[in-house]
Amino acid sequence: MRIIKETHIDFMRQRKLALILSAVVILSGIGSLVVNGGPKLSIDFKGGTLVSVQYTGAMNVENVRSALSDVNVDGQTFDFSREEIKHFGSDDAVLVRVPHIEGAPENFAQKIVDHLYAAFPGSVPESKTDFILGKGTVTPKIGSELSGKAVMAIISALGLILLYISVRFEFRFALGAIAALTHDVLITLGIFSLFGYEISLPIIAAFLTIVGYSLNDTIVIFDRIRENIKSSKRESYVGVVNRSMNESLSRTIVTSLTTFMVVLVLWLFGGEVIHNFALAMIIGVIVGTYSSIYIASPIVIHLHENANK
Amino acid sequence: MNSKLTPRFLIIGLVLTWAIWAIWPTIQYQGLSDVELESLREEGKLEQLESRTIKQGLDLKGGMYIVLEVDIPTLLENLAENMDGKFNQSVSSVRDQLRVSPEADSFNLFSNVANEKNLKLSRYYFDYGSSNEEILSALGEEAEDAINRVLEILQNRVDQFGVAEPTIQKQGNQRIIVELAGVQDSERARALLESTALLEFYIVKDVTTTNELMIKIDQVLKGDESIAAVTKEIATQTSDETSTEDDGTVSVSDLFGESDDAAATDSAFVGQDIFAERPFSAMLRDLGNTIGVPAKNVYAVRKMLETPEVQDKMASVGGAFLFSHKPQDYPTVDGDVESIYSLYLLEDQAELTGGVVEEAKANLGPQGSTSAGQPIVNLSMNSDGARKWAIVTGSNVGRQVAIVLDNKVHMAPNIREKIAGGGTLIEGFASIDEAKDIAIVLRAGALPAPVDIIEERTVGPSLGADSVRRGTQSVMIGLAIVLVFMLVYYRISGSIADFALIWNIVMVLAVLASLQATLTLPGIAGLILTVGMSIDANVIIFERIREELRKGKTPKAAVDGGYDRALTTIIDANVTTLIASLVLWQFGTGPIKGFATVLFWGILISMFTAIFVTRTIFNSFTSRKGMTKLSI
Repeated sequence: MRIIKETHIDFMRQRKLALILSAVVILSGIGSLVVNGGPKLSIDFKGGTLVSVQYTGAMNVENVRSALSDVNVDGQTFDFSREEIKHFGSDDAVLVRVPHIEGAPENFAQKIVDHLYAAFPGSVPESKTDFILGKGTVTPKIGSELSGKAVMAIISALGLILLYISVRFEFRFALGAIAALTHDVLITLGIFSLFGYEISLPIIAAFLTIVGYSLNDTIVIFDRIRENIKSSKRESYVGVVNRSMNESLSRTIVTSLTTFMVVLVLWLFGGEVIHNFALAMIIGVIVGTYSSIYIASPIVIHLHENANK
Repeated sequence: MNSKLTPRFLIIGLVLTWAIWAIWPTIQYQGLSDVELESLREEGKLEQLESRTIKQGLDLKGGMYIVLEVDIPTLLENLAENMDGKFNQSVSSVRDQLRVSPEADSFNLFSNVANEKNLKLSRYYFDYGSSNEEILSALGEEAEDAINRVLEILQNRVDQFGVAEPTIQKQGNQRIIVELAGVQDSERARALLESTALLEFYIVKDVTTTNELMIKIDQVLKGDESIAAVTKEIATQTSDETSTEDDGTVSVSDLFGESDDAAATDSAFVGQDIFAERPFSAMLRDLGNTIGVPAKNVYAVRKMLETPEVQDKMASVGGAFLFSHKPQDYPTVDGDVESIYSLYLLEDQAELTGGVVEEAKANLGPQGSTSAGQPIVNLSMNSDGARKWAIVTGSNVGRQVAIVLDNKVHMAPNIREKIAGGGTLIEGFASIDEAKDIAIVLRAGALPAPVDIIEERTVGPSLGADSVRRGTQSVMIGLAIVLVFMLVYYRISGSIADFALIWNIVMVLAVLASLQATLTLPGIAGLILTVGMSIDANVIIFERIREELRKGKTPKAAVDGGYDRALTTIIDANVTTLIASLVLWQFGTGPIKGFATVLFWGILISMFTAIFVTRTIFNSFTSRKGMTKLSI
């Protein structure tokens, strides 16, 4: 079976159009980031408390909200009705997120769980162990360290990759690859911001995986370009790039398709905890495939033309 | 079969045998029922089996993950002698700076502050050297020593707590990570870990001194302008309008200008008139021989006791107020029940500390005693402690002695007679479990420095089980789709790729088992990604072979050409992802590290598989004579 027969698509003719498209998507993402005051960071980075609990029947979020308007812990009263309260996976599970409070009482997460348990005596499981899905408290101290580490990780990964590609290919290829994966991460980040999804530790892992995947895809095409440039001296640079893309198109489609199917399954059936991780991967696979063709290679062509002027 | 291929098949066979050997215990372990597990545990064979299986992370089987940090500023205080105002200011300045920029290094801050304030460290730490630098480096070593002792003590406590496979490890030089699988009772686990286990015996001040001090505190707080302003404001408010506040109450938040908007404004109520006259004692209840603080007023009273004026007054009589560790229920006038903490004024120097404790045992109180049937902890002291204890009790007959654990008063019995021999019992526990835990921490000894819980995560068993089920399910579905697709798209060659894929997964699991790695949910995601990467390598090769075939080459030449030309592509493409996974591994804590480990091995193995294993299989086909058509 063959999906892609021999093709002669002039990918590089559409590169201006693609550039505009990418710019629009990235700018709207950045616009959303600016409006929202940066990405929505999870407690992993900001600190705070997160609890998720399982009721025995469907639970209205508004009821939980009003129940949380008056929480008394060791003589201090808190109003959490304005905090983030939402369903967790299904109608009967509820997630509550509270920012870090300086001088919060001991074992704060458990106290919130206790309150949620006592507030709806009719619809909680008998054992509290079955009630708690998960809870966590992170102090800002850990959070700020992680943010620093995440930035370091991204910078060092990019640096090492830049170095590797410069050695194996040429510097301009490295720039093209870095531009493509920056493009991919920006778009994914923008889409997450537009939909109001939060950036947690696993999402950072997903971003770095997107980086890996996008690079993988870009390098396969670069590899073909490198090979074809050696063998054909008369053909124009754009011509070689176009031909290389057409030649590797079949592989690009098959690999993207299989990877896409795998992450789609993960998104559909993987469960609540990796739901957003899988979503980031889905966006990454689509955008990564697109950027190898329409971002990475045009930049290589552009740099080549500039160098030869 | 071509004889040149035999060594290659031999290698493949060996690797496969190793993989099955490595993965076997995990399969065996998964198949065991609870009863069989128990019998293996009794025979002592379980540990041996477990050491060779892939462990499930806390996110899959449920449990607690706790990060503890040693409180360096307090350690600095504990080590210092002759502390004075200047020193205290310096340490609190370090604390303030840590609050603003928590990632800063405590020792650097302390060193900066010491230089700024011209603090001569040798005044406070004369045992540690003469110059500031010398002392700071000695203190650094002391801190490292402290964390190692903390680690040991926590290990001891957790071992006695009885958790299967606890993990306790040091992270950096101030932190300890504790993982307790299957533990859900965070209250107990936290108490067990966080307790400094500092046991102290104080003499309680007499009633006259206490009463005089309370009157003084009332006067100080009454004279306090901020409090006067608030009371005045509330007086005008109630006369101007019939607001909901017209029951004449004053809230603590009004008093202390609580900026935290999450802490609402109605935490404590007292009558307004009494409050204006005696702000402090109005918060309290008379419980006969002790002072009571209703639970709802605890926060307010704490705030009042923290004000510098009140601190001064307490210092002037050489005493300090401490709360009881838990409230007791008392009936109120209108028939309700009020839970009330006790408040004790203690001498500010401890008579004796827990260092003298030789043995601590939890028990139920003996029949005939006041604590009959109640959970208690029996203490026995070493000879030095017993001697001191005899002197303390002997010279204070008739007075109260407070037994204080981690700054909370557990009990304050009257001393009836001199206690010789060092035996003492502590009562006042909610349950025998609590008594047992306290006995554990007392036996394991006090921590050299207090620790704070800076991160805590608990995953419930149901969420974990759900994740395992869904994770396995999605791996299976994803795998099935890919296997079928490859078979349809590349036919017989596709079946070789399918074989390679399953081989890859088995190999990754085998490596994880032999590394004794922990499989987490992100790890499962990494496994799924490995599926994608492994397929990609095969796709690259197959597409190349197809190209070569289209050029009219024979199957053998096409396979050779395809592999040769795909090799650099695969290496370059995978090495970059390998770099990303290594960086993730380096950066990662917990879940991310698990993901990176799986991804790293997944890529490495899939490269080996694509380049070596499938090649060998292909060659065994193409080397046959008469092979004219390749099913690809």
